[in-house]
Amino acid sequence: MNALVALCHFCELHGPRTLFCTEAVHPPSPSPPQPGPAIPGDRDREADREGEGLTMRANSSATQGADMCEGCRSLPASHPGFVSVDGETGIRYLSHQHPRQPQLFSVVRQACVRSLSCEVCPGREGPIFFGDEQHGFVFSHTFFIKDSLARGFQRWYSIVVVAMDRIYLINSWPFLLRHLRLTIQSLQNTALKVFDSEQCVCPQRAVRMNSAFSPAVFPHQRSGNAARSLTSLTQHPNLWASLHSSFSWLLKACGSRLTEKLLEGAPTEDTLVLIERQTEQEEEMSGWDGAEGGVSNPQPSQSESVQAKDFQFDDGRQEDILGPKFKSLRHLRQVLGASDFRQLAWHVLMGNQVIWRGADPGLIQSAFNVLKALLPVGCVRAVPYSPHYEEAYRCNFLGLSPDVPIPAHVSSSEFSVLVDVLNVERGCVNPVSDDDILSLYHFNISSANTQATDRGPTLLNKMEVALSNENLSVEVVSLCLLCLKEEWMNKVKVLFKFSKVDGRGKEDTQKVLALLGATGPGEEDNVRLLKFWMTGLSKLYKSHLMTAVRVGERTLSHPP
Amino acid sequence: MPTLLQKLFGKRAVGNGSSRDYSTAAEQCWASAEFDLAQIRLIVYQDCERRGRQVLFDSKAIHKLDTSEPTSDETKTPPNRSGACHIGSQASEKDKPPSYQYTRPAPDVTMLGEMMFGSVSMSYKGSTLKIHHIRSPPQLMVSKVFSTRFGSSTSESTNTLQDSFESMSQTFPSHTSSIGVCRVPSAPLLCLARSASFFAAHSNPVDMPSRGHSEDGDSGIARSASLSSLLATPLPSPGSSFSSGLSSSYQRRLLRSQATSLQHGPVPRWNTEEMFSLSDESCSSNPVMIQRKKIAISIIISLPEREEENHNFQEFFFSHFPLFESHMNKLKTAIERAMIVCRRIAESSQRVQVYLCRVMEALGEFRMTVWNLYMAPRISEPVWLSMISQSTERNLLCQRFLKEMSLLMEHGAKSQFLSALLTAVLTHHLAWVSTVMPSSMPPIKSGCQKPASQTADLLAKSHPYNPLWAQLGDLYGALGSPVRVCRTVVVGRRRELVQRVLYVLSYFIRCSDLQEHVQPQEQMDNPASPCTSQTTDPTPEKPDPLKPTACVIGTSEKALNSDLGNAIPGTSVEQNHEILLTDTKSTSPSPSVELTTVRSEFTEMAQECFGEDSDSVGGGLEHILASQSPLLHRVQFHIGSPSETANDGQAGGLTGAGCGRGLDRKLHQRLLSDIRRNESSDSALGDSDDEETSAQELYVATEQNEYELPLPRQVQTRASVNHFGRSLLGGYCPQYMPDFALHGISSDHRLKQCLMADLEHTVLHPALDEPVAEALCIVADTDRLSVQVLTSQKRVCEGGRLGRDVMVSNLVHTLITSVLQLYLFDIDCVLCVMHLEDRLQEVYFKSRSLAEYLRGQTRVPVKELGLALGIESSDIPLLAAVASTHSPYVAQILL
Repeated sequence: MNALVALCHFCELHGPRTLFCTEAVHPPSPSPPQPGPAIPGDRDREADREGEGLTMRANSSATQGADMCEGCRSLPASHPGFVSVDGETGIRYLSHQHPRQPQLFSVVRQACVRSLSCEVCPGREGPIFFGDEQHGFVFSHTFFIKDSLARGFQRWYSIVVVAMDRIYLINSWPFLLRHLRLTIQSLQNTALKVFDSEQCVCPQRAVRMNSAFSPAVFPHQRSGNAARSLTSLTQHPNLWASLHSSFSWLLKACGSRLTEKLLEGAPTEDTLVLIERQTEQEEEMSGWDGAEGGVSNPQPSQSESVQAKDFQFDDGRQEDILGPKFKSLRHLRQVLGASDFRQLAWHVLMGNQVIWRGADPGLIQSAFNVLKALLPVGCVRAVPYSPHYEEAYRCNFLGLSPDVPIPAHVSSSEFSVLVDVLNVERGCVNPVSDDDILSLYHFNISSANTQATDRGPTLLNKMEVALSNENLSVEVVSLCLLCLKEEWMNKVKVLFKFSKVDGRGKEDTQKVLALLGATGPGEEDNVRLLKFWMTGLSKLYKSHLMTAVRVGERTLSHPP
Repeated sequence: MPTLLQKLFGKRAVGNGSSRDYSTAAEQCWASAEFDLAQIRLIVYQDCERRGRQVLFDSKAIHKLDTSEPTSDETKTPPNRSGACHIGSQASEKDKPPSYQYTRPAPDVTMLGEMMFGSVSMSYKGSTLKIHHIRSPPQLMVSKVFSTRFGSSTSESTNTLQDSFESMSQTFPSHTSSIGVCRVPSAPLLCLARSASFFAAHSNPVDMPSRGHSEDGDSGIARSASLSSLLATPLPSPGSSFSSGLSSSYQRRLLRSQATSLQHGPVPRWNTEEMFSLSDESCSSNPVMIQRKKIAISIIISLPEREEENHNFQEFFFSHFPLFESHMNKLKTAIERAMIVCRRIAESSQRVQVYLCRVMEALGEFRMTVWNLYMAPRISEPVWLSMISQSTERNLLCQRFLKEMSLLMEHGAKSQFLSALLTAVLTHHLAWVSTVMPSSMPPIKSGCQKPASQTADLLAKSHPYNPLWAQLGDLYGALGSPVRVCRTVVVGRRRELVQRVLYVLSYFIRCSDLQEHVQPQEQMDNPASPCTSQTTDPTPEKPDPLKPTACVIGTSEKALNSDLGNAIPGTSVEQNHEILLTDTKSTSPSPSVELTTVRSEFTEMAQECFGEDSDSVGGGLEHILASQSPLLHRVQFHIGSPSETANDGQAGGLTGAGCGRGLDRKLHQRLLSDIRRNESSDSALGDSDDEETSAQELYVATEQNEYELPLPRQVQTRASVNHFGRSLLGGYCPQYMPDFALHGISSDHRLKQCLMADLEHTVLHPALDEPVAEALCIVADTDRLSVQVLTSQKRVCEGGRLGRDVMVSNLVHTLITSVLQLYLFDIDCVLCVMHLEDRLQEVYFKSRSLAEYLRGQTRVPVKELGLALGIESSDIPLLAAVASTHSPYVAQILL
């Protein structure tokens, strides 16, 4: 809890005093969001504190004559205090006579004085809340402790809980009251036993009745005894250590009394697939040891990195490639020309095998990297550069060196497209910039496909609008693409459930397609796209849909 | 008989079967305890340095004069259980205001005055909040003490005061006896008359700091700018890194944790200048503060006699305190106005009557609001909260929800009522956004379950904030930038229809679910009691004897460690540094010469870099001073493995930590002056100098290493709690309820009367405890099938209409349509709901593109968006609102 707890005492000689104070010191910065330079901030605070220390010392030199009696003291000045560390959160609970953080010194002092000298509690024992924005807010509980030697046979104490969060402190009233009462009763009961035993030995009332009363002498007579410490009143040698534990627990328990269940959205299919792939790789590497199946829970750092290389720069290695390369879909479109790009993108989206053949693996890799972004991660199977042809079931992106022949069944297939990267005859020897791919290469696109590629799918039509709008930055375009992909992925999910899991007929499927907005112009392409993308759904999602059905059936057949 | 809170918040009774119509039956009146309006008492007190304390108002001492109605005191007629509390007399007889009379003041006012102001008056100028618990008879007293503010001019004569005094003593002849006891004259009339200096003073009213959240929208930090500079902890600044995918839910919580941190001591926040205004705005030029006069407004609530009811009411009161406080602020404003207005009246008896009437009316309003807040029916199974808290009934819940939604869709098909309503709700109750932001974590259980945010969980543990506060913000949709808060009211005469709408909306108006962790009551060895080891059998986990006297002076680390190690089973003690207090004098309370020397040495050290030689052996105090702060230690303590000594050697890595820390002079100076200011403000409390020695001790002690003790084990059980998610989603209420995030009413009569004032009040005194730029209300009329949005920012509306009609977002419309069609296609309900979530996620992604498009631009015409991004104009308000939760700059560009 963002609070501190202090035990205060109204000393008969010195007035209100802070006896013992437990504060919670929180770790400097929460780990998840961008750690940043945590140490300097910490150091600043250290510096502040040291500055404070100086001032206080400077101020104090004049007033060091002021004394302090046993009753005003908890730990000896030389005592290092107590600390408890919450291993889970790193919060440290520190106890000293006074708050260790100097800026809190006057806050606690103020709370102490107000709780014992200013605020009025009916019956003098009980809870009060008070405070303001300048001095902080205080939940205070005053109480008496029996002392056979004290005036009225009792001494007055309070426990204060100080926080800046007024609302939380008030919300915690019932909790604090309940537990501080336990603390107080425990102290009172212990002190009562001591009191009773002392009274047996030497009944003070009688002593006092018999001694001659003199107003002038009275305080001095008793001043020797006025200074009894709480340790002596309770005969509890480990009182302060125990109190430290109680206060630390109180702060921790009060801070974690209420917890929130805050939900996030389901991870995207891309994230799930990446996690699944990562898990598979790990399992492959660890052999049979880790082969338990299912999805492990990777550490946050792992999955964050998974997300970081999400859809756009899939392999994150693009920067490393030397030589000319494609930087974005828009760049690719500019180089290939709108018509060729359209054709190529169409093949990519339909799930056809896209083969690039050329001498520059870096260029081909970069082309694949930007083209991959058109597909869900689960639909991408790439062989970036190979010395021989790979079958379509193994990869839908295939890079080949220039001399690799394409098998006839492939070159005649309407389900593949071949891009030959040819070197341009260089007229001049001047070095050309990497950006100018066209001055280096010529691209030749061929496919046996006879279908029109300019009608659909709808996703591609919308994508082209964004790509052709030069006002949109590359980032905006990629976010637009993300939106489009997610939109279509959601249709894929429904269609999968509808056709594969529930096994509905054609007519119904057609209705669902209409409902999903997949019909109309380019319908055929849309349907092909949906079917292809279904293959990219995560295993988790698929298996979930299967289970959900079973659960659903059970529920339906056995109404509660 | 189940108690009220059990009914409201306890485990819902298992419904008796499938025949139940869930949307309509799922509403409970949670009022079983009688809550009499007279249980709420108002006292207004003045504390004037010269005149002493005076009661300016005490509802207990005021009686309505018998005019026309036989039952004069309306508080005596408890409102109908099922009905709301109506303050009938005032509402119906506006033309003939009731007249009131003081009777003998209650005997407890003197004591209460003491409690309100304290026995020593504070010099603090801002407002002070106090809560007292009075044991017998059991009462809770909430007081706000204000400093007063006048205008500079005192032109108006004070002779009216005398007039009013005389006339009042004529009206109330009953008490002339006991004046002057304890500076509190027991004749309230007299007080009113004397204190009528209110009536003769002028100034501007309290103008609430509109420290523009609109201007401050970039940071979204709800505190003064000075703090941001003080916040040493590096934060992902919302403006810069929001679009990196952190939800505003997370940001809000993190900022709240820091805004309420003790780490920097008290830092004045946004609403500190609140004062009690004693004159109106007629001369606002030169306000002068009268520091010597304070006014306290106290609400005293009599607690139920029965222990359980008492407990339940208190639980409710304390968890809902921000709402109570907000209504108290409203009451305060009304009292201010009453004083200002009656000052203008020349005739004194009439003046008093006007004053009493106005205050009584405001009190009536307050009582009614509190009564309604406590007693009004709630949606017992809000869809969203039920879905996320119980996974077993999920399928049924989805079925019910979709059924109700499709019925609703049919009902208002022509007018697109549901689409319009959801457009408005999704635009303004923005908490849904973070629940669809894609997680990077794989789901733990099944794919349909959304993952719980682990970052938020971690944050809550290490940087505690108030989950209740977070939940309140969620419900009001206060996640955008600038901060707007919204409530939704469904109006209609057809009860079932309204309830159906409420039920469906309870899926879209979202908040986090709260759980409470409590210590079992019967546990003997409660960690809160320090003396259990003596009174009961010590348990092995308890920290055992630690001899404070055996420790420090002249003891070497080794001896210390072994000593403690032997003495304390189950405690791991670490001393990463030697404790070498060779100078025994320095530990004695008396001043020592050595300390002065050390101080100067230290000053030099602090001005340079220091800490390099922390390895040096045999150092005296210098060594201790220069050694690293314990704050930098990363000490691990493993709870539950007591034998383990967890010294993981981190100290070695940190020995150089002290090096290079220079004193940041600015911060230093600032903190120094803060401290001095605080100290000087202590002066009213007497001499605080004599604790300066302790400050010195404190300082010495800070550089030592504390003894480490284990944290007591926290035995936890979970229970449902009194939280806003359950209490602010109202059912079909008899009357408009200002606090509810959602509720239904039969007629908008009263809504029309008070909604605008309520919205303005919400902006001035937000229950959310942070500045609010705008308050909104969505009003859905199921009779007329209209949806309107009203705002605190007054805009002209044509033809006496409440607000603007909502433009249906095409995105939302197609979303609902396709979900419901899937439902009609007999697709698994869980999948339909998942699809709904997926589609909401699409809305979020679209808002990301919009935000990215707007980044770096200054002003973008709305038309351009359609062309560039394919965003329809009907979707822009929704997308902009969603975008503002992750990219605060959006709101400023899209004006």
